[in-house]
Amino acid sequence: MDLLLDFVIVGVSIGIVYGLVALGISLIFSGLDIVHFAHGELYMIGSFLGIAVISFTGVPYFWALIGAMIITGVLGVVVERVFYRRLTRGGGGYTVAGMGMIICGFGMSVALQNVAYLLWGAAPHPYPVSFGMPIFLGNIALPKSYLYILICALVLMTVLHTFLTRTKLGLAVRAVAYNKDTSYLMGVNVPVMISLIFGVACAMAAAAGVLIGPINYVQIEMGYLMLLKAFAAAVVGGFGSLPGALLGGILVGLFETLCAGYLIASYKDIYAFLLLIVVLMVRPTGLLGILVKVKA
Amino acid sequence: MLSIRGVATGYGKVQILRGIDMSVSEGQIVALLGGNGTGKSTLLKAISGLLPVWDGAIEFEGEPIQNRRPNEIVKRGLTQVTQGKDMYPAMSVEENLRIGAYTRRDRAGVTADIGKVFDYFPVLGERRRQLAATLSGGEVQMLVIGRGLMARPKLIMLDEPSSALAPRIVLDIFSIVNRISRNEGITILLVEQNVRMALLLAEYGYVIRDGVIHIEGDSRDLITDDNVRLAYLGGTVTDAGADAGTGLAH
Repeated sequence: MDLLLDFVIVGVSIGIVYGLVALGISLIFSGLDIVHFAHGELYMIGSFLGIAVISFTGVPYFWALIGAMIITGVLGVVVERVFYRRLTRGGGGYTVAGMGMIICGFGMSVALQNVAYLLWGAAPHPYPVSFGMPIFLGNIALPKSYLYILICALVLMTVLHTFLTRTKLGLAVRAVAYNKDTSYLMGVNVPVMISLIFGVACAMAAAAGVLIGPINYVQIEMGYLMLLKAFAAAVVGGFGSLPGALLGGILVGLFETLCAGYLIASYKDIYAFLLLIVVLMVRPTGLLGILVKVKA
Repeated sequence: MLSIRGVATGYGKVQILRGIDMSVSEGQIVALLGGNGTGKSTLLKAISGLLPVWDGAIEFEGEPIQNRRPNEIVKRGLTQVTQGKDMYPAMSVEENLRIGAYTRRDRAGVTADIGKVFDYFPVLGERRRQLAATLSGGEVQMLVIGRGLMARPKLIMLDEPSSALAPRIVLDIFSIVNRISRNEGITILLVEQNVRMALLLAEYGYVIRDGVIHIEGDSRDLITDDNVRLAYLGGTVTDAGADAGTGLAH
């Protein structure tokens, strides 16, 4: 029983981290009509930036999280403005420009990874924080970082949800995500909103990177597997749906932790895609995806 | 109030409009008529800034607005109401109205105007917390007109408010539009395929065909004009031919 509880807590925590990255992928998909393949690299860079903030300023972990989110968010806006905007202007989605955008995303992924290599090298970095003694629940010792993930992620989700549903700017973001032309006619400054969406999505990825840092080592290749799993999470939950991204993340994390725990641990990274295949066979729109948005 | 001179535009390399001239004076209801694929919606997109203008000039209240960003044009008081399907289905009726008032800063005024829209369209008031996706076709049309009013426009461009609606509902909507125009002093540019109905409401009409203004005149003259009747009221072979020729562009 203790073991199961341990697996569930660990699975949900890891899953929420997948969910944060998946949330960004979903946000960008609905806002810009593109699948952003360099999102894993922004997660990796966010994680490194967290280390940088801690070692340069010595601030506590929580402020490093906020700092990394802000810097990565700004970095994301710059990347979108300088590189992606030229392509998305011609239309995203299923257009020829949308195809170019996919290639551009892969290129950006390689470029960002090499920038990170120049800055931080190829060796894995430990996270320079200590949460002290683990918490003992019965027979299991649970590192506090898992609790940190749960609390921080919940706070972030609540803030994002409140922003999207309660503020005028959030309303405009949702409007732009649904239809850019109509939103333009409402007087919304669509290009600025697109930058905002991209920045928020990158900040979420950075948060995921900083949260997972104390559990895993941070290294420049961590983005690629995260991208695939977050992608699986987004599809399981229903692509483009924000609550779906979170739900998908938790399911993927839980499923893979339980399978690794009770079945064969060395196949850990396969289970996420097994879940993806099963969900796609049973419910192709994903769990919370109701409308399949076809864009011309 | 709005004057358009020699406007030409299109999509990509395909030219749709080949020099449109028309003008709308303050307080008027002007109808822009034409069949499918003649360039009506294209002209509206050019005026509201969604499409770049290749040639010609568009002036609103004496100032050039061609090739401005749509959000700047809305701030000047020129709002386009797109066809009914362009509401936000995942938002509530009230949120749809609030996004229409995005350019405004006066919170109290916005709330008051939401009340005003509910006075004109009581059915929207009954459904204010419902998602827009649950509304009927007529209610959606009312919603997008109400959303257009929320920006407090001086001139509102209505793109085919009668499309895909039952005649009785069209009559309702048109009479409310007429009332709004009088009460609020809003100038209206009405784009329609329902020629008879549009000419009953409007004072002046333009007929667009193959990217140019084909006929213009007072509505009373147009409704009896043989050319108009031949082309739109009776429905003829030439009309169908024109549609087939330009249908691709729409």
